Amino acid sequence: MPESRLPNIRVWLLGALVVASLFMIAFGPAFLDRFALNVLSRSMIYAMLAVTVDLLWGYAGVLTFGQAAFFGIGAYATAMVLTHLGSSPELMLLAFVLAILVPLVLGVVVGWLSFGYGATPLYATVISLVLPIVVTQVAFSGGQWTGSSSGLVGYATLPLSLAGYFRLTGICLLAVAAAAWIFVRSDAGKVLVAIRDNEARCAYLGLNASRIKIALTAVLAGVTGLAGFLFANASGVVAPENTGFVFGTELVIWTALGGRGTILGPVLGTIGIDYLSASLSGQLPFLWKLIVGALFVAMIILLPNGLAGLVGKILPRSKGSRGEGGPLRQAQVMQAPQDVVDKPPLLTIHDLGKSYGSLNVLQGINLTVQPGELVSLVGPNGAGKTTLMRCLSDGTESISGSVSVRGANIAGLAPDAIVALGVGRKFQVASVFDSLTVAECLRMARAARYRPSLVHSSQELDLPSAAVEILKLTALDGMLDRPVSALSHGLKQSLELTMVVALEPQLILLDEPTAGLTKTERMTIGTILKKLTGELGLAAILVEHDLDFVREISSRIVVLHQGQLVLDGTVQDVVNSELVKAIYSGGAHD
Amino acid sequence: MTILLDVITTAAILFVVAAGLLAIFGVLKIINFAHGAWLTVGGYCAVATTGMGLNPWLALPVAFVVGSALGGITEVLVVRPLYRRPLDAILATWGLGIVVGQLITLWFGRDVQFTPNLLSGTINVFGLDYSFYRLFMVLAALVVGLGFAVLLEGTRLGLSARAVIMNETLARALGIDTAKVRLTTFMIGTGLTALAGVLLTPLTSVDPDMGLAWLIGAFMLVMVAGSSFGALAVACLVFGGAQTLVSTFVSPVLGGITVAVLCALVLRISPKGFARA
Repeated sequence: MPESRLPNIRVWLLGALVVASLFMIAFGPAFLDRFALNVLSRSMIYAMLAVTVDLLWGYAGVLTFGQAAFFGIGAYATAMVLTHLGSSPELMLLAFVLAILVPLVLGVVVGWLSFGYGATPLYATVISLVLPIVVTQVAFSGGQWTGSSSGLVGYATLPLSLAGYFRLTGICLLAVAAAAWIFVRSDAGKVLVAIRDNEARCAYLGLNASRIKIALTAVLAGVTGLAGFLFANASGVVAPENTGFVFGTELVIWTALGGRGTILGPVLGTIGIDYLSASLSGQLPFLWKLIVGALFVAMIILLPNGLAGLVGKILPRSKGSRGEGGPLRQAQVMQAPQDVVDKPPLLTIHDLGKSYGSLNVLQGINLTVQPGELVSLVGPNGAGKTTLMRCLSDGTESISGSVSVRGANIAGLAPDAIVALGVGRKFQVASVFDSLTVAECLRMARAARYRPSLVHSSQELDLPSAAVEILKLTALDGMLDRPVSALSHGLKQSLELTMVVALEPQLILLDEPTAGLTKTERMTIGTILKKLTGELGLAAILVEHDLDFVREISSRIVVLHQGQLVLDGTVQDVVNSELVKAIYSGGAHD
Repeated sequence: MTILLDVITTAAILFVVAAGLLAIFGVLKIINFAHGAWLTVGGYCAVATTGMGLNPWLALPVAFVVGSALGGITEVLVVRPLYRRPLDAILATWGLGIVVGQLITLWFGRDVQFTPNLLSGTINVFGLDYSFYRLFMVLAALVVGLGFAVLLEGTRLGLSARAVIMNETLARALGIDTAKVRLTTFMIGTGLTALAGVLLTPLTSVDPDMGLAWLIGAFMLVMVAGSSFGALAVACLVFGGAQTLVSTFVSPVLGGITVAVLCALVLRISPKGFARA
């Protein structure tokens, strides 16, 4: 790190803020009146909820109204235990455990419904709307168990004074916010952003995005339940409104106004708006709600990142907060063994067929690929090349015949499981993560292999030597802390290729890796591919239109025409073939 | 027998309420969460019309005009900047709903308002006395459904709208003014929703939150129906029927969440819902 840097404004501000909040927690009760203590305790509980909404929506990109439901369940669980069973210390502990556990378990179920196999992106939002409505109706129809429409009231709570609750909620909020702050800056936190940016790329980097989102939903449901426990104790009353859909939308509004995608924004936004609402609702109840609503609409349209986004633009960006490229390190990597004589082939395609309705896109494809081979797949537009690549990298495609990678049939395997078998896929249009830096993108490619830390933000970048070499060849090694959105088209293509190589695959699938590249960039990619296959023993399948390029680098060429494999031979065989000439001049039709 | 009539009339009411939302979602691919507010606007149009001593039926055209005008303003100011951010559009229209609701509260007060019945009394159907107005809602649903069918199949706007539904990029490339199609559709959708709000007044009380109760049900039905009015009719019959049965035989409280829960399950199993029907 360069030494003499100006004192970092952001770090100072943050430190000052932490000190100020600690001061408020400790001495606030000395100068705040009863009303302020009461309202602020509630606002700080709501702020914890806003942090969970923000992690889901601002970071992972899942718009949710469902946190209200988990909150209500936590609060109701607490109040029901305290009302119906009693409030001895053991039962208070039981209430505490249930308030976290019940939402957590429900969170797993809701997460599975929202993100499990086959769910559409909007579906999570749909579920998050239905959930609070269901919970509210259950609360309404619970008779004396839930107190129906009047809710539960008059149970014994934690033996704390007003000031005690203020301090307790303050400490909890500080802990939740600090944990969230550390998490979103950690390597694991970046995975959330990567999923929001480009879920398909995550899957093809071997990350199970669904499972990550389910885990996130469940954990945050637990945190929300904890907030519910605090609320049930601090307020002494739990009513159906606390768990409703409208409350869920309010949480989103506070988060949006404060600034999604930051931790501080939603916390301050929630405390500010809820406190002002309580103070002003006496004098101008409807007008205040009107102003908040209008501000919210304006903010969504004009300033989608909220007030914190505006402040973030004004303050100079600190280098440390984005995670620097840091020193490159070559990881100790086992290279694919060179003696491959008695091994099964890397890839075996047997009688593969794929059809959409009555349209046969692929039929009767047989192909084996051995380590060290560079197979080019050529053929005119519509020959089925990209479809074939998809069938090789996604086992959930419905096909006839079979595809095996290193002896394992991939039928039914999701892309991330096939990556684990040793297949890396590069897309036709560069598929990278626009909100991350080059180094963060590359770390994402290692995340499936080495579980990223939940607290620590790596400064080093461990990559296999082949990937390091590509970085050096393409000069990307000097741009590690650059945001990906600032890269040229060619560099994005190179970055994606590096990410795929960083997976340490044994088979690389490349869909037109040179499309739109300059001659020099093309030659660089060609050199890299030859090296990967020739020296390191990887196999590659390449879809390519540029026949000169194909001739130069391939060890074998396969010609696809109208969904069938018409030729499979050496470069010489194919180049001299009359059939290929006829196909490319448009003459050959069965 | 009463159950059967209940099922049909419930489905008709749901259809009338959800039609405006579907029109907007189908063409604009935007979920208009201000839907509840437009229903409320319609309800208060009825209050205002009868308050001025006019014929209650006059509220229907008034509501349509007011709803379309407000919809036009909304499309230009709020929805248009957000076409590329559909999730933000949900939020912005929800915020707009809050604003509209508060404006109504400031103007008319929070209290529940009552309007005279458009049609009162019962009618004898197959030997049963049944609410005349609920049966009238079936007619209203048919008029709305057929109206949209004629609009989509028989007019130039309908043709453009169908083109936009199928492939907006191509439609624009072919010289269709997609911005105008969107604006017109949005105005028709909100106008129709306000009109539905008037039609709801004899069935529910009018208060600033009256639309909210209908929002989620309508939203879920539209999610299941995709962009097809036929599918919406089927969805209303199936889920409205289920709601009636659950309310009658199990509990009215559970009946209230039947539509939402069943729609969510259907969407989980088949993400396209009834859209292929």
